[in-house]
Amino acid sequence: MSRAAEQVQTRAEILKLARLLGREADELSYLEVLTPADVRRLRDGVTESLYDAHDGSLRKLAAASRLLPSSLIATIAERAFGPLLSARVAGLLDLDRAVEVSGRLAPAFLAEVAGELDPRRASELIASIPPRLIGQITRELALRDDYVTMGRFVGHLSDGAIIAALSALDDAALLRVAFVLEDKQQLRTLVATLPRARVRGIIAAAAAEELWVEALDLLHHLAPAQRRDMIKATLALDDAALEAIVQTVLDHALWPEVLLIAEHDGALQDRLAERLASLPVRRRRAALRDARDAGVLGRLGAIEPALTGA
Amino acid sequence: MGEFEALRARLGDGAPDALSQLSDAELRHFAATLDDARHRQARAIAEAGDRALHHIPRLLRGPIRRIVG
Repeated sequence: MSRAAEQVQTRAEILKLARLLGREADELSYLEVLTPADVRRLRDGVTESLYDAHDGSLRKLAAASRLLPSSLIATIAERAFGPLLSARVAGLLDLDRAVEVSGRLAPAFLAEVAGELDPRRASELIASIPPRLIGQITRELALRDDYVTMGRFVGHLSDGAIIAALSALDDAALLRVAFVLEDKQQLRTLVATLPRARVRGIIAAAAAEELWVEALDLLHHLAPAQRRDMIKATLALDDAALEAIVQTVLDHALWPEVLLIAEHDGALQDRLAERLASLPVRRRRAALRDARDAGVLGRLGAIEPALTGA
Repeated sequence: MGEFEALRARLGDGAPDALSQLSDAELRHFAATLDDARHRQARAIAEAGDRALHHIPRLLRGPIRRIVG
């Protein structure tokens, strides 16, 4: 991952931590000096601390719920507990009961609960929620632009639920979720479940909504055959879109990602080289410096002479 | 005890070494933010318990109170 992509990932992690603490991400901007892994570790520590702080009280609430019918628990969750407390108690309820209650709650409320929930503490429950309901919750989260929450949940969904969730998202939203996915190892499996047309759609969405940092990060995490498909789809784009890719690479110094393109496709390599060669000398020198710093010089194929002016 | 050590005492391994790059003021701010979140959570639990009782049939309120304490 390039340093620029890492910085964006750190900001995404800070956003998750800020949400957990009930703050705006800007208030924790001093954490931007940390790596994404360090912010995530800090978030895990804070999650443990918050859940453990009132574990006794939360367990008693969960135990008391055994005396009540699930319809009443659902009413209490929405009208008395609210999303934060419902999220804290969710993983402590008996599984069958919790699934039944979730089926009685509005998807909009469940989307809010999802935003507050630590999925690791309710993994079994999440995996047991029917795909249709997961699809509805996903749509609610997409309406709120809450890609961070979706990214935290993917690893806990059943296969059927993943398909339902992916179907509920448009291509741009899918790209945004992929970027903040908790475990990027899952991207290969996720992309493998997508119809091929959606890979083309993702690239088109990246072009239309200027999501090239996200698209190049996705490329970085895919299997070689999947990368080839994405790069092929990119070749079909017009010159303006290629210009936007070059611009993103230059703005964010995404040279490790360019290396992936260079290794996989000569045609796209040539087109990027052509664009880079037409840049003013000063910009090309800056790009050359960034590529050297990223340690990719000597492996960029046709792109290299375009940078050096050779 | 320094600010970083104090945070580590609370969060254990959840406070990565990299946090020591932060200034004392930043670490204090983070610790205060964590305290605030814990207090808000405690308030939310207490208030929700009271609100929940209004939705529960009178007959069950006694047994529920005995469990919740």
